[in-house]
Amino acid sequence: MSTSNVESPRVVSRGEWLEQRKALLAKEKEFTRLGDRLAAEKRNLPWVRVDKNYVFDGPEGKETLAQLFGDKSQLLVYHFMFGPDWEEGCPICSMVGDNIDPNVIHLAQRDVNLVVVARAPLAKINDFKKRMGWRFKWVSSFANDFNHDYSVSFETEEMKGKFYNFGTGGFPGEEAPGLSVFYKDSAGNVFHTYSSYARGPEFLVGAYNYLDLVPKGRDEAGLPFTLAWIRHHDRYEE
Amino acid sequence: MTTQTPSIEDLSTHPVVSRDEWLEARKALLKKEKEFTRQKDRLFAECRTLPWVKVEKNYVFDTATGKQTLADLFGDKSQLIVTHFMLGPEWEQGCIGCSFGADHYDGIVIHLEHHDVAFVVVSRAPLPKIDAFKQRMGWRFKWVSSYGNDFNYDYHVSFTGDAIAQGKVYYNYEVRPIDIDELAGTSMFYRDAAGDIFHTYSAYARGSELVGGAYGYLDHLPKGRNETGPGHNLGDWVRHHDRYGN
Repeated sequence: MSTSNVESPRVVSRGEWLEQRKALLAKEKEFTRLGDRLAAEKRNLPWVRVDKNYVFDGPEGKETLAQLFGDKSQLLVYHFMFGPDWEEGCPICSMVGDNIDPNVIHLAQRDVNLVVVARAPLAKINDFKKRMGWRFKWVSSFANDFNHDYSVSFETEEMKGKFYNFGTGGFPGEEAPGLSVFYKDSAGNVFHTYSSYARGPEFLVGAYNYLDLVPKGRDEAGLPFTLAWIRHHDRYEE
Repeated sequence: MTTQTPSIEDLSTHPVVSRDEWLEARKALLKKEKEFTRQKDRLFAECRTLPWVKVEKNYVFDTATGKQTLADLFGDKSQLIVTHFMLGPEWEQGCIGCSFGADHYDGIVIHLEHHDVAFVVVSRAPLPKIDAFKQRMGWRFKWVSSYGNDFNYDYHVSFTGDAIAQGKVYYNYEVRPIDIDELAGTSMFYRDAAGDIFHTYSAYARGSELVGGAYGYLDHLPKGRNETGPGHNLGDWVRHHDRYGN
């Protein structure tokens, strides 16, 4: 990559800038269309029928996966990193939580229920959710295999390397983030349609969508890991 | 168009396979997804290596804390994001699509502010109109008025009656007929140690689509964006978050 503008800015006239900006715009439009095509491919994946009866602890008591749809036919699950023994939820997932909350009401208009799932017991989830001021539905998979089956909780070191992101990457912790999509047909059958991990659901990190465009970019080169600068939204001052 | 919505019939006959077969298809797609992510990285790097234009005009905005210049809007940060929100001086309320985007800002701004980025929303309506609408929507982000300055015109998100009447409106880097006096966009600025301000980037139309995330979700769902109304865009379904009713 060339030296960044911040270190040695290239300053030009408006006319010259426009010329380069328009050339880039053509690439941006092509990229947007490529994104449309890729999104269509994601939706064209075949589905897998969910035969296991997952039961979650939720605000309304015990709820099955089918019940998490509410009155909708499409269910989005955000796999939030919050293990049973953790003191609090992961700060990066919490930033995603900050982004999820305002979406729920809009997605509901599109036949979509959005539910957050973590393995911590419900009481722990409820306390943390209250601290963060979130309203989205958040249920516990503590008592079932859901996190294991959708490859976001790992009991052994070997599993971390073998199962995360379809075995392509590995994950350093016992809990990992992800996004899964389910569909319920009119007969009540539930299908798993899509899951995405690692950088796949990066669009959920709303701050990245902006940072990618400001002069310094993500500016994470000197950090121990990407997003290491993120804190819980109530903990930046510490 | 590939954002097309599958019909409900398509969904009822959608192929259902074994976990192993799905995994095979999923892994093949994962390769394309990774390539797309890397392509995104390269494209954004190009956005950041565009040259800059020095801002010579002294824009003064009406804000909650009085008159502020463009330089003031940076606060103690070196990078400034401006969201051009469609709320014209004569409008009754802010644009629905912009409001949809704005529902996400409060969750994002606190994080950006801790990464050397100031975030400001700008509209051409007078400040009292902005404040009343902001209060109705329950938002906290900084929202200032460019009423009386050239900012919205210079960054091509407000258009004169003449340009509209002649069908020659300059938006998203081309002249076209547009029948509205305000449109949306996002602009980026940088302030160096000497206090000089540079315009680094602006995006309009679908260029601002990444922001917010709701499309990111919908694009992954069986029904996709499902925008089958007259506009074939979010105008078909998005309302102010206090106006969905039921």
